[in-house]
Amino acid sequence: MSDATRIEDYLRALSRALRSLPERDRDDIVAEIRAHLEHRAGEGRLDAAIKSLGSPENCARTFIEEMKIQTAFADGGPAKTFGALLALASRRATATAGLFVSLVFFLLAAGFAFTALAEIVTPDLAGFWIGPESGNIMIGAFEPPPVPAPPGEPAPREIMGRWLILFAAGMAVLFFVIGQWLSRFFIRLMIRRKSPTAI
Amino acid sequence: MQVYLQYQPTMDVETWKSQLRKGAAELAVLALLDTGARSGIGLLDALADRPAIGLSDGSIYPLLNRLEREGRIAGQWETPKGGGRGQKIYSLTAEGAAALRSMRSAWTGFRNDLTAIVGERR
Repeated sequence: MSDATRIEDYLRALSRALRSLPERDRDDIVAEIRAHLEHRAGEGRLDAAIKSLGSPENCARTFIEEMKIQTAFADGGPAKTFGALLALASRRATATAGLFVSLVFFLLAAGFAFTALAEIVTPDLAGFWIGPESGNIMIGAFEPPPVPAPPGEPAPREIMGRWLILFAAGMAVLFFVIGQWLSRFFIRLMIRRKSPTAI
Repeated sequence: MQVYLQYQPTMDVETWKSQLRKGAAELAVLALLDTGARSGIGLLDALADRPAIGLSDGSIYPLLNRLEREGRIAGQWETPKGGGRGQKIYSLTAEGAAALRSMRSAWTGFRNDLTAIVGERR
């Protein structure tokens, strides 16, 4: 493919990605990127230039983000300013949400790990009980243990015995893996979201 | 918990670095234009051996575009004498020169104070 064709292809994709902008702004940006690419092609450095600009979509996004922030802070109404602030805050919100959700799963994992350990150390206090009437489920280590029940109350039934060690350890690993996956997911989400320029 | 924290440091440094560079890049561009009008290519070439500033082909044009909208710089399409490719040449406006003056003094104070706290690597 010739340099000229590659430049035209790039500019066409860039113009498409900039379609949300007014025509004059779009033409101005495309003209400048054209001058840049043609100049670099003249130096025999078109490949490096295209690589450095990034994909047309990414290149367009950087222009749009710079513009959004500038519009918001320069002459935007409350909605625009709020939107820009939200975009800025969203990184922090994503981090907070990620931290919270991952923490819940890591705590669940820790709880199950503790239960497995308790079943080994003090088998009488740990168990998986089901209330005979209520159907309530109690998993973990309890002091005093639910069995024997206080007089006059139906005794819950322990259904796992020593298998609880395996079950609780399995659940601990499962919740840990989910927590780990979620924290990675949130971090990827944050990295993908480009931070807008607000200076 | 540990797993989450393990990812934190590198991520924060990258975010911090990009925030740090954004303000610096603007100052660098204004300061370069103060020494004479240049095209985007001219600015990139002047910054080619200063990678720490963090301005690439992909980030300089959006920055120039914003500075022009803010009225700090003015762009003018010029065709070289004797033909050839036209280029948009940017120069500092009066507003840009004033912004540069206050940014420069803010930067000097900031640099001195920060260096006093952080220290320079020996």
